[in-house]
Amino acid sequence: MAELKTLDLRPGGQTAHVWEGGDPGSPALLFLHPITGIPRWGDALETLANDFHVIAPYQPGWGPAKDDLPGAHDGLDLVLFNVDLLNTLGVGSAHVIGVSIGAWIGAEIAAIRPDAVQSLTLVNPLGLWSEQYPGEDAFAQHPGFPTAVLFSNPDKRTELLMADRDPMDAYVGELLDLRASAKFLWPIPDTGVGRRLVRIDTRTLIATSEHDNIVATEMGDIWRAAIPGAQSVQLSDSGHIADLEIPEALADLVRNFALEGVTA
Amino acid sequence: MKFHWFHGMPWPHLPADFRERNRSVWVDADSRLYEPVEGHRLYHEYLDQLEFAERVGFDGLVLNEHHQHVFGLMPSPQLMAAALARRTSRAAIVLLGMSIALYRPATRAAEEIAMLDVISGGRIVAGFPLGTPMDANYAYGANPAEFRRVYREHHDLILRAWKDPDVFTWNGESAKLRYVNVWPRPVQQPHPPVWIPADGVSSETWDFCAEHRYAYVCLASRGFAPAQSAMDGFWSRVESRGIPCNPYQGVVSQTIVVAESDEEAQERYQPHLDYTSRHTLGDFPGWTEAPGWRTERGIRERAVRTMADLGNPTPPRIPTWQERIDSGSLAAGSPVTVTEHLEHLVTTLRAGHLVGVFHVGDMPHDATLRSTRLFAEQVIPRLRHLWDDYDDHWSPTPIATEPLKRTTEPELAGVN
Repeated sequence: MAELKTLDLRPGGQTAHVWEGGDPGSPALLFLHPITGIPRWGDALETLANDFHVIAPYQPGWGPAKDDLPGAHDGLDLVLFNVDLLNTLGVGSAHVIGVSIGAWIGAEIAAIRPDAVQSLTLVNPLGLWSEQYPGEDAFAQHPGFPTAVLFSNPDKRTELLMADRDPMDAYVGELLDLRASAKFLWPIPDTGVGRRLVRIDTRTLIATSEHDNIVATEMGDIWRAAIPGAQSVQLSDSGHIADLEIPEALADLVRNFALEGVTA
Repeated sequence: MKFHWFHGMPWPHLPADFRERNRSVWVDADSRLYEPVEGHRLYHEYLDQLEFAERVGFDGLVLNEHHQHVFGLMPSPQLMAAALARRTSRAAIVLLGMSIALYRPATRAAEEIAMLDVISGGRIVAGFPLGTPMDANYAYGANPAEFRRVYREHHDLILRAWKDPDVFTWNGESAKLRYVNVWPRPVQQPHPPVWIPADGVSSETWDFCAEHRYAYVCLASRGFAPAQSAMDGFWSRVESRGIPCNPYQGVVSQTIVVAESDEEAQERYQPHLDYTSRHTLGDFPGWTEAPGWRTERGIRERAVRTMADLGNPTPPRIPTWQERIDSGSLAAGSPVTVTEHLEHLVTTLRAGHLVGVFHVGDMPHDATLRSTRLFAEQVIPRLRHLWDDYDDHWSPTPIATEPLKRTTEPELAGVN
């Protein structure tokens, strides 16, 4: 069973809130969450924990780390946060999977600290901008259903994100997670990572979701072309938040690619 | 009691099918609907209305800043203030205001307000609104997650730039300036009065105004009850600091239309109020809550209302004339009726400054002037005495000299 831990990171000194599950003797997997954070230890993480030592931190500004947002100014601060986390846990390197904004952070880690990343799986990655494929504006949505657009079907927001939580707490948390995302992605999700992708030399898989309203499937080709040797696949039956919509399929994808090098 | 005349400068020629073809009057409304030649005429008509307000006795002329907004064709209130500074001589010019968080460096705002204060001879009120998500975040691209911090920093920088006569260095997060040394300096020392407009109930704004002894501007467009809630909250913050509640620290805005009779007011002005409502009804909700615009406290306060609305959805509709009056979002009718309405409003809210919105939507020029004159001649005299026992520390203090002698036409013609 997984545990939500609070750690003081070395050497940065920052506090981290991190889910940790699976056998510590298994290959380490760093899970970098999407815009919607980690609402719970869900099926994707549980399935991944069958094969990995899963490390799933809340990035500064999300969930229980909501008050840490002012200290995180840019992508470099997020990279250092995650590198410090691995260091504190005694993990020299890990397989990395990032979804949505987490994919951007994962790409930054791989570009800046390639020694820390054994394989890289980027799912519905944000961080590059194409005028040709702008997608919906995730930050200009009805305030009553602010993340509905992130799902293949608006009802899935209620079913997958808000379910089994206090409605008010879940709603406020949803808005605070969006606030954290906006800090790094406003007003256009062009983070500058495009200048650094060429530096990535780890095995990389780009996955885009068939029904993602935010990241067009064509963006997968743009990411693949920018990262040397990257491969790409398309995911069925999912919107932007693939870890909630198709948890088992996503876990299979990561396991097969990270441990066996298979992309099918 | 002080009376001010506000202009929002709306575009009055929206087509009947505007709502079907545009999701919003803000941010992404079709700019092909704007006609610059008509805009030329309109700007001058609007400025004429403001100048007329001074002529008939209003104490201040009020301008504001909006961007990419069909009903706010004033991206730069400073430009209008500059025009008014030359064409008026007595009334305060109230910038309500400049969105200071959008100025980079913020010293630009300090400079321009100082310029206006010097040109006008010390008639400027510096309004520092936080702004709106539509203007700041969606139109100007400012990051909502950072916006309040930037606002506070820019406020601090502007105030210091006015007050500190020495060159200083500003090492902020938004602004890094090795040499801050604003020229010119404002006529009003240490700085023009500061007013803070707030739309809605924001306890953070109450505290900010009370802490700095700024005037709190309550926009009563949503009606009397929310306005009272907002002003009560502000006064409670003032009292809790042991500061006397001087009504002149309170400002309330209200849409006002005056005619010879109540019936004539409705007949003459209702279509123009409906023009605005018709085009904003059901406006795109995606512009209203940029992520991070509110603090966590603000999010929680707002969430209660949002969840209640979701649980009890009612289709939007245009309010009737009587509903506008009953809710307190409109003061309309004969001079006597309007006087009674406003006396109740300002005494209940304890507001020493009244900002009247006399032009709405597609209101014609002559109707606007007529309403303005009736108000000036028959309402202001009935309310002027209110709060006579208090000193007004929130109005400008112009240069106490004779009006400036300007170069005359014959003198100009005689130049060789």
